Amino acid sequence: MKTLIIIRKPDYQWIGGYFNEIHPLLLPLCNKPLAEYLIDFAILAGASEIRIISDTSLSDVEQYCENGSRWGVEISYGSIHSDDTLQTAIDKNRRFCKEERVLVISGLLFIRYSKKRDYKALFESLPEGEILHSEGGSVTLTGNPSAKESGNVPEELSLAAVDSIKGYFDLSMEILQRDADNYVLPGYGSEEGCLIGRNVMISKSAEIRKPCIIGNNVQIHAGSVINSGTVIGSNVIIDRESTISGSIVMDDTYIGEKLDVTSKIVCGSILIDAEAMTSITMQDPHLLTEIKQPGYTGHLLQGTLHAIIAFILLMVLALPFLILCPVLILQGKWINRKKTYFINRTGGKGKLLTATIERRGFAGALAAAISLDRFMLLPKVLTGRLGIIGSKPLEVNPKAPMPLNRMATYRPGVFSYAEAEAWPETGADTEIVDHYYRIHGTPLNDVSMTMKALINRNHETSSP
Amino acid sequence: MIFNLDKSAGNPVGIVVLSVRVDAHNSSELQKAFVHWMQYTSSFVFDCSGLDFIDSSGLGTIVSCLRKALEKNGDLKLAALNQKVALVFELTKAKKLFSIFESAEEAIKSFASPMTA
Repeated sequence: MKTLIIIRKPDYQWIGGYFNEIHPLLLPLCNKPLAEYLIDFAILAGASEIRIISDTSLSDVEQYCENGSRWGVEISYGSIHSDDTLQTAIDKNRRFCKEERVLVISGLLFIRYSKKRDYKALFESLPEGEILHSEGGSVTLTGNPSAKESGNVPEELSLAAVDSIKGYFDLSMEILQRDADNYVLPGYGSEEGCLIGRNVMISKSAEIRKPCIIGNNVQIHAGSVINSGTVIGSNVIIDRESTISGSIVMDDTYIGEKLDVTSKIVCGSILIDAEAMTSITMQDPHLLTEIKQPGYTGHLLQGTLHAIIAFILLMVLALPFLILCPVLILQGKWINRKKTYFINRTGGKGKLLTATIERRGFAGALAAAISLDRFMLLPKVLTGRLGIIGSKPLEVNPKAPMPLNRMATYRPGVFSYAEAEAWPETGADTEIVDHYYRIHGTPLNDVSMTMKALINRNHETSSP
Repeated sequence: MIFNLDKSAGNPVGIVVLSVRVDAHNSSELQKAFVHWMQYTSSFVFDCSGLDFIDSSGLGTIVSCLRKALEKNGDLKLAALNQKVALVFELTKAKKLFSIFESAEEAIKSFASPMTA
């Protein structure tokens, strides 16, 4: 059994008016891209190979789904002409389809199904032809049935066309409020009806009412209320005393203070009333705005600022280092260590020379207080191999390799954000604090955090 | 912005037809003009039929105009908000502060009948 997913521009033209940069197959329904629902269904139907074809670029989908190994299936991609009929599209993919049974999903569709049912046997036995149809597309079986017994299409199998902003909004609410348990949705939840992602900060005075779904890297500030029927995407900030009710807040969105978002979709600075099919682009960054990931300019600015701070520290600490280091080495209170650390998130390694200073005595206490143990790392900031502040450098340990894939934001620094926050250095906690600031920090914030790290390290009892 | 006085409801009502945009660039102009219009009446209808965009600065100015009218025992009512502008009023909860009417005529009439105001 194979699955062919066909999507053409007319199926999703409406999306461009609202979510310009999202590929329709990556349109999130309760924080899960539509493509994943289709893949889940194809797997339940017994598919081991899936081919996605479109008349426009699928590069974003390919980047997200890759070769399908995440789901244990093989995913390939292809293109069709906009005018190709369903039959032509199938004919053009004969090499993929061969003589096998193929489930063809055509259109921007959501298929309602039950995860408890095994559709494999059913789809092997159903006769060739269209099994589900809606205005937005169809689901068709091709090839001869391999099983003799012929069943009927069960009632729970139905299509929802994602053919308008209203259809999209209603479908999201349907999944959240009625069928959240039926589909595997992202997030963790100790209570039914409430799924929360990673790195979510919820103020003590904020209220969360289920059912709701909250993505990764979300801040919900004091006095805010997340009412039932709300989907909050990833990388979202809900500022103080705002109320979100029965709404969808898409990824990378900032919601300003004291706002009321009821039955709306917010996507960056775009506010959408799905019922009225109206939208407005806000131009006030303190009302709604898009949270932009730092681009090349942002990284350049951050790197330059880090290098300036490192240069200043090198100038200021050079003399104390030249005087105190030899003295402490002679006293046996300064021990140099050269170890291999991960220097970037892709697993690159490099040697870093660090020092351990014993605080006993005036010279040791002074050297530790002014962070001379990190002095030898400062030139690495000038060459861009380290940040002045960032994640705590992870030592390479061949016996216990670090799960770098979990540290998407890893960038080692001379000082760590956890140090700045005087957070106990207990592995996971340090990672969470460092991760939080790598996501939400700004270059200017890095300056103040470096100062905080310098001051807080002053209170440490030992160094490093 | 166009201002005229309407006396059909008995007491004079200031009708202000807002321009296409009320934002940081022209909100101070509205603020100044409103102080001047207050010499004639404290009852106002802002006709928003031509208003297509408003930002927080414009919104702040309209709320400030409402406050000034209320201080003089008057009122400021909004009429003919289009869906986009209504979204901003809803989002910022400013909708709760104003009486909003479908048309300027309805808003003017409401000044004649305290029951509907």
